Amino acid sequence: MTGRVCRGCGGTDIELDTARGDAVCTGCGSVLEDNIIVSEVQFVENSGGGSSAVGQFVSLDGAGKTPALGGGFHVNLGKESRAQTLQNGRRQIHHLGSQLQLNQHCLDTAFNFFKMAVSKHLTRGRRMAHVIAACLYLVCRTEGTPHMLLDLSDLLQVNVYVLGKTFLLLARELCINAPAIDPCLYIPRFAHLLEFGEKNHEVSMTALRLLQRMKRDWMHTGRRPSGLCGAALLVAARMHDFRRTVKEVISVVKVCESTLRKRLTEFEDTPTSQLTVDEFMKIDLEGECDPPSYTAGQRKLRMKQLEQVLSKKLEDVEGEISSYQDAIESELENSRPKAKGTLASLTRDGSVEDSASSLFGEEDPEDEELQAAASHLNKDFYRELLGAGVSSSSGEAGGPEGGSRPPALESLLGPLPTAASLGISDSIRECISSQSQEPTGARGDGELDLSGIDDLEIDRYILNEAEARVKAELWMRENAEYLREQREKEARIAKEKELGIYKEHKPKKSCKRREPIQASTAGEAIEKMLEQKKISSKINYSVLQDLNSKGGGSLRGGGAQPQERAGARKLSRRKTPAGRSGADPVSSVGKRLRPMVSAQPAKRAAVGETLLLSSPSLGAEPVRPTAVVESGPVSYPPEEDPDEEDPDEEDGEPCVSALQMMGSSDYGCDGEEDEGY
Amino acid sequence: TTPMDADSDVALDILITNVVCVFRTRCHLNLRKIALEGANVIYKRDVGKVLMKLRKPRITATIWSSGKIICTGATSEEEAKFGARRLARSLQKLGFQVIFTDFKVVNVLAVCNMPFEIRLPEFTKNNRPHASYEPELHPAVCYRIKSLRATLQIFSTGSITVTGPNVKAVATAVEQIYPFVFESR
Repeated sequence: MTGRVCRGCGGTDIELDTARGDAVCTGCGSVLEDNIIVSEVQFVENSGGGSSAVGQFVSLDGAGKTPALGGGFHVNLGKESRAQTLQNGRRQIHHLGSQLQLNQHCLDTAFNFFKMAVSKHLTRGRRMAHVIAACLYLVCRTEGTPHMLLDLSDLLQVNVYVLGKTFLLLARELCINAPAIDPCLYIPRFAHLLEFGEKNHEVSMTALRLLQRMKRDWMHTGRRPSGLCGAALLVAARMHDFRRTVKEVISVVKVCESTLRKRLTEFEDTPTSQLTVDEFMKIDLEGECDPPSYTAGQRKLRMKQLEQVLSKKLEDVEGEISSYQDAIESELENSRPKAKGTLASLTRDGSVEDSASSLFGEEDPEDEELQAAASHLNKDFYRELLGAGVSSSSGEAGGPEGGSRPPALESLLGPLPTAASLGISDSIRECISSQSQEPTGARGDGELDLSGIDDLEIDRYILNEAEARVKAELWMRENAEYLREQREKEARIAKEKELGIYKEHKPKKSCKRREPIQASTAGEAIEKMLEQKKISSKINYSVLQDLNSKGGGSLRGGGAQPQERAGARKLSRRKTPAGRSGADPVSSVGKRLRPMVSAQPAKRAAVGETLLLSSPSLGAEPVRPTAVVESGPVSYPPEEDPDEEDPDEEDGEPCVSALQMMGSSDYGCDGEEDEGY
Repeated sequence: TTPMDADSDVALDILITNVVCVFRTRCHLNLRKIALEGANVIYKRDVGKVLMKLRKPRITATIWSSGKIICTGATSEEEAKFGARRLARSLQKLGFQVIFTDFKVVNVLAVCNMPFEIRLPEFTKNNRPHASYEPELHPAVCYRIKSLRATLQIFSTGSITVTGPNVKAVATAVEQIYPFVFESR
C-alpha cells in the first residue's frame, strides 16, 4: 500500500497482513487498520476430510436483490427457480452452440432470446431442449449463418417439424421477423464440405449464378433451399470437371436422392439448360419460366380436357354397347340360380350394396350363413309371389328388402330401374305399418325438421338381423386383439379383487374446478351441492330433512367449549373466510382437517368430539363473527364429507349439517384416507 | 360462390371443399347398437366413437356416446345442416330419443385460384406480422387474419387455401388478401 504514512512514527513501511486483516507499521508497531476486507477464498474442512470453498453461488442477473429472511418466503423460492432455469438454459445453449461452432456473440444473443422466452412463460409445457434449439436457430437466422434447422434437429434427434413449430411460435411471440433463407448462404458451406480444393471459389461462383437463374425461373419458391443448393452445386461441379456423385452431394446437403433428381429435371426443363458452359457464364437469358408446380398443374388440366373430349366420343359408342350389354345380362340373369338372383337384386337395388359385396368376399362359414339367409329370404320371396303380390309378408325385418323384392323380380327381367323399385317400395312402405319412432313428444325444443329428409333412404342404412349378425361377427374378428386385451384386463382385476390386493388405478383426472354454488337459501345450496357431489350411503337424508325444520335450537349450549378448543382448528378457520364462496375451499378445509384427524387416530372419540364441537364454530365464525352459534354434542348418523359445509350459512340448519359432517367425518375419513394414502 | 372482386374484373371462384359442423343429441347413444345395426358405420371401440358415412350428402360423422356428433365432408353450410338432420333422423330410427340441438358450423375449408403466380419471399416481407413462411417446413406462406379468425395458405402457383369459421368469413378473407397478393405477383 503506497502512500500510507504511519500516524505514530511517520514511517512509510506498513506491513499488510491479509490473514489477520491488519495493517501494521513496522516502525512503531501501531495498528493502522484491522478487519480489512479482503477478497481471498477461504476453505473449510468437510466431514470427509476434504476442504471446500466458503461462499454462495449468486446468479448473474439477480445479484442485486438479497432474499428477505422470513417474509419473502414465496418470493425467494420463485426467484431461485427462475435463476436456475436461466443458468441451465445458458449452459445448454453453450453446449449446443459450440457444437455448431457459433461465436460468443451469437451465443449471448441466443441467451437473451431465451431470457425473453422465459419471461413470457414460453418454456412452460415445452421441452427445454426445443426452446433452446429454437433460440439458437433464431440467432442463426438473424445473423445469417449457414445453419439449417435440420442441423439442429440432427444434433437433438428431434423431428424437424416439431422444432419448426416451436421456432415459429417463438418468433411470433418475440415479434422477431426472421429474414427469409437465401440458398446462396449455404453454398460456401456445402462447397467447402465437398472439397473442391483450389477451385472452390470458382465452383461456388458458378453455383451462385445457377441459383440466381433458378430463382428467376421460379424454382426456388416453396422449396427447401438445401435441395436447390445441392442441385446447383452438382451442376457446377460437373461444369468444372469435378466428379461428384449424387450420393456424395446428398450426404452433404441432406436431401433425398429423388428430390435432387427432381430439381435437376426441373432445371433441365428451363431454357437455360440448353446453353453450354461458356455461354452460361456470359449470357443471361431474359425470359422467365413458370414455377414447376404450375406447369405440372397446367399439364393436368390439359390431360383432363383431353379425357373429356375422349369420353364424349366414347359415349356415342357406349350407347350401342349398353343395349347389347343389357340383352346379354338379362339372359344371364334368367339362367342364374335363384338364390344368387335375389342377392344380386339386392345389390342392384343399391340398398345394402356395400354390405352385400363385403359379404360376398368372405370365408366359407359366412357364405353358408348367407346361403341360409338367402334361402330363407327366398322362401318369403316365393310366398309373396304366390300370394297376393304386394303384402306385408316378412314384417319389418325384411322391410325395405321385402318391399323391394317384387319389383326386384321385374328388374331381373329387364334393365335395372332402381328408381322404379324405389317408387314401388314407397307405396309398399305405406302399406306396411311404419312402426316408426316418430318422437313428436320427446323432441322438446330440439325439434328435428323432417322436411326434405328421405326416410326411405335412411332406412336403408339400417341393417336387418342377419346382416347385423354378420357384421357383428366381422367386427369381432377385426378387433379380436383389442377385445382379448380387455378381457384379460378384466380377468386380472377380478383375480386381484379376490385376493384382496386390488388396487384401483384410476386414470389421473385433472381436478375439475367446480363452479361456486349459487343458491338463495342454505337448504337450496345443500341440495345443489349434493347433486354435484356423489351421493354417499353414509348420509341419512331423512334426518337432513328434519334438520331444516328444527332449526338452530338444538345447537345452543356448549358454545363456549368449542371456542376454547379452537386452538387445533385455528389454521383451518383462518382459511375458511378466505375461500367462502365455493365448494372448493370447503373441500380444502375438509382436506386439511383430515390430515389432522389422521394424526390422532387413537383419540378418535376425543377428536370426534373436538370436531363436533369446533365445527359449528367453524361454520358460524366465518359468517358472523359476532353471533355465537353454539352446538351441543348432537349424535347424528355419520355423514360423508366436510364438504357439505355450506358457505352461505345462516342460523341453524347449515351449522347442524356442518356439525354432522364434522362429527362423522371421522368415520368417513378413514376410507378416504386409505384412498388418499 | 363466385364473388366479384372489386379491384379487378376477374371473377374469383372460391370452391368450398369442406364444412365441419357439430351438434348434440342430448341423449346418451349406445354405440354398440349403432355399430351393429347401421349399415355404413365403423366402430372404433378403443377410442370410443362410431364413424357413420352418409352417401347423400356425402358426409362422415363421428358419433360419441355422450350424444355429441361431429359432421365433416359437406360442401356447403346448408348441406351440412341437411346431412346432420338426416343423421339425426337415422339415429332416431334406430331407436334413440334424439333431439337436434346446438347445431354449429365450426370450420369451413375453401380453395381459390389466382390467375397469377405469387412471389412468396416478397409477400412475406411486405406482410410481416401476419405472414409466416418457412420453406424448410412447408411450401406455402401461412397468413392469419385475427379479426376473422381465418388462416390462408398461399402457394407460389397462385392457389390459396382458406380456413375459417364460416363461409362469409372465408369470402371476406379472400377479398382482403387479394390486393396484397396482387402486389407480389
